Amino acid sequence: MTVTDVTAPVAGGPPAGHPRRDRGPTRTTRKITPWLFLAPALGWLFVFSIWPSLNTIRMAFTNAKPLGGNERYVGFENFALILRDDQVVNALVNSVVFMLVCLPLLTVLPLLIALLVEKKMPGITFFRTAFYTPVIASAVVVALIWTFMLDDRGLVNGLAQAMSIIQEPLPFLTDRWLIVLSAVSLTVWKGLGYYMIIYLAALGNVGKDLHEAAAMDGAGAVRRFAAVTLPAVRGAMLLIAVLVCVAALRVFSEVFIMTGGTGGAGGEAMTMVMLIQQYSRGFTGDLGYASALSILMFVVTLLPLLLLAKINGRSSE
Amino acid sequence: MRIQRTPLATAASALVATALLAGCSGGSPGEGSDPEGEVTGAIRFQTWSLTPTYAEYLNGVIADFEEANPGTSVELVDQPGDGYSEKVLSQASTNTLPDVVNLPPDFALPLAQQDMLYDVSQSTDMESTYFEGSVDAFRFDGVEGVYGYPWYLGTDVNYWNAEQLDACGLDSTAPPATTDELFEQASTMAQACPESYLISRVPGVGDFTLEGIDILNEDGTEFVFNTPEAAAIVDRYAEAYANGEMPPTVLNADYLGNSQLFTQGKVAWTTGGATAIADFEENNPSLKGNVAISPALNISPLYVQGVSVSASSENLATAIAFGEFVTDAENQNEFAHIANVFPSTQGSDADPYFTEDDGTPSAKARVTGFESLQTAQVLTPYSVNGAMNDYLAQQIALAIRGDISGQEALDKSVEKLNDLLARQ
Repeated sequence: MTVTDVTAPVAGGPPAGHPRRDRGPTRTTRKITPWLFLAPALGWLFVFSIWPSLNTIRMAFTNAKPLGGNERYVGFENFALILRDDQVVNALVNSVVFMLVCLPLLTVLPLLIALLVEKKMPGITFFRTAFYTPVIASAVVVALIWTFMLDDRGLVNGLAQAMSIIQEPLPFLTDRWLIVLSAVSLTVWKGLGYYMIIYLAALGNVGKDLHEAAAMDGAGAVRRFAAVTLPAVRGAMLLIAVLVCVAALRVFSEVFIMTGGTGGAGGEAMTMVMLIQQYSRGFTGDLGYASALSILMFVVTLLPLLLLAKINGRSSE
Repeated sequence: MRIQRTPLATAASALVATALLAGCSGGSPGEGSDPEGEVTGAIRFQTWSLTPTYAEYLNGVIADFEEANPGTSVELVDQPGDGYSEKVLSQASTNTLPDVVNLPPDFALPLAQQDMLYDVSQSTDMESTYFEGSVDAFRFDGVEGVYGYPWYLGTDVNYWNAEQLDACGLDSTAPPATTDELFEQASTMAQACPESYLISRVPGVGDFTLEGIDILNEDGTEFVFNTPEAAAIVDRYAEAYANGEMPPTVLNADYLGNSQLFTQGKVAWTTGGATAIADFEENNPSLKGNVAISPALNISPLYVQGVSVSASSENLATAIAFGEFVTDAENQNEFAHIANVFPSTQGSDADPYFTEDDGTPSAKARVTGFESLQTAQVLTPYSVNGAMNDYLAQQIALAIRGDISGQEALDKSVEKLNDLLARQ
C-alpha cells in the first residue's frame, strides 16, 4: 500500500500555492441531497401509509384489542375464522354484486352524458354544473335524503301507490337486494358528474379533424363514436373502471345509513367495510379479526384491478 | 458490501420492519402515585355531556372540594355525548386518561381488565357508603376489586297513553305488569284499534333476563340463553309482528324508536327514566295529564353511572379524595334533585323527595322509579359488546320477519357470541 503525499502538486491540477477552486458538491453530498428533499414526503408516507399497512398485516396474525395488553400471536386463526363465517360470505357477495352493477353503469353513463354536454352552445355550463352538483354533496346527507325518499311512506312509494303502479310499498330499505340496488342508484346518481368530468377532459383531446375525416368517408354518428371517440377515450374508460371498482368495493355510508347501521334484517345487506367496522369498534373491538378482513378485502380489490390492467395491456398491444 | 435487491431481501426487510413495529403499538399504563399520600395538587375531572346544563352544580362541588382541601385544584373537562366511548378509548390507549373520569360499568370493565383503573375498594369502605347493587356494578368477573365510585342511578318505568288504552278496550288503571299481559293486551288493542299499537320494539338480551333466563353460565364463560323459553319470547314477538300488533316499521331503518312513536301518539306504551314524562309533555302537550305510569314489566332495569380513578394518576390521593367527595351522600342527593336521577348512597331513601308522591306525574314517575330501584337489576351483562348486540339483533330481526324460527335465531346467536366471547 502506498501513501500519497497530499501536498504534492497533481498533474493537471492547480499549481501549488494557488487557492483551490470550488469544485461544487462532493459525491456524498450529491447522493444525500435528493434524499433530504424526499425525507418529509417519505416520512409522511411511512407514518400514514406504510406503517398502518404493515401494522394491519401484523395484527391480522394476533388477537389485538384496541386497548392492547395480553396480545398474542394466533397464526392463521383469524383467517380460518373467516372461512367459516357466514357473515363474511354474505358481505363479500353484497360488495361484489354492488361493484358488478356499478361498474357498467358508471363507466358508460358518464360517457353518454359527457358526449351530451361537451357541445359548445349557450347555457351548456348550466347542465354541466347540474350534473356535477351531486358530486360535491355530502355522502351522508345524500344517503339520508334517499332514505327519506325510499322508505315505506317516502316519495317513491307514495308516488307509485298514488299512480296505482303498486298496491303495497316496496321494501327498498328492508329487502336485501332492494337495499343493494337502492345504494347502487344513489352511488350512480352521485358519481355520474365526477366521471363525466374525466370523460370531458378525454373528449377534449380527440382531434376534430379525425371526426371530419370520418364524416367525409361517410361514417355516421354511431360509426364515428365507435371508430373515433371510443378508442380516444379508452384510457379514461379504463381509469374510470378502476376507480369505480375500488370505490364500489369500499361502499359504506350509503348502505350504513339506508339500513340504520344494521345492514338490514339479519345484516343481509351488509358490505365488507360495514363488517370490518362492526368488528373493530368499541373498547372490546376485535382488531385482529378486523385486520384479517381488511387483508381479504385488499386482495378482493386487487383482483379486478389486475384484470383491468391485463385488459389494458392486451389492448395496448 | 452491496446488498442485492432480491425479492428475498425485500421480504426479509418487510418482516424485520413488521417485527420492529410490533413492539411499537399500544401503550402501557404508567405507575400511579401514592394513594395514601397528601391530598394536594392538580387533577382533571372528566364528565360525560353534563355541561352547560349542570355546570353550576359541578363547579360548586369542585369549589367546595378545593376549599376543603387547600392546595388542590380540579379542572373540569366535559366531553360531548356522542363519541364518548371513542374519546375514552383514545385516552386509555395513549395513557392520557383524566385522573377522575365519569364511566358507566361497561366502559370501566375493559379498562379495569387492562389495569388502567385504580381499585377504589383499597382506599374506601364501599359497602358502608353505597347501595350494594351499585357497588356490585363495578365488580367484574376475573378482576379483583371495585373499579368505580357509583355516582347516580337510573331505572325505567312504564308510560302508557291512558286515552288510547281506554279507547281501545283496555283499562289504563290496570296496565300490563308482565310480558305475558303485555302481549294479551296488545292483541286486544290491535283488534279494537288496528291503527294503534301497544308494542313497538324488538327484544334484546335484556328481555331474556326479564323472564328469568340466564344469559351466561355461572363462570361467565359461555352464553346459554338459547333455551326454548327464550325462543318462545322471540316467537311471540314474531307472531305479534305477523298479526299486525306492532308497527311494520320496527324492522326498518327509519324506525323512530318507541319513545318518539309514543310522543307522536302512534303507540300507547314506552319505557323511560323519571325525567321522560317532562319530555313527553313538552314535545306533545296533548299528552299532558294523559299518561299513566307503572313500574317496569317483571324486573326493573338498573343503569349505573360512576366515577373511576385512573391508576396512573400523578395525584392519586387527590383523585381518590375527589372521587369520594363528588359521590358522597350530600353531593349525590343534591345532584339527584337537580338532574332528576337517583342517588346511589346509603341513607338517601330517608329523603322524602324520593319517596313521597305530591300528585304530579313527575313525582309519580320519580317515586315509582325509586321504589323499583330496590329490586332493579342490570339486565344486560357487561361482557355483551357492540358486535354481539348487532349480531343478535340481526338474527332476531330475521326471526321476527318470519325467515327463521326463534330457536334458530338464538342457536346461531349463541354460537357466534360464544366465538366472540372466547376471543375477548
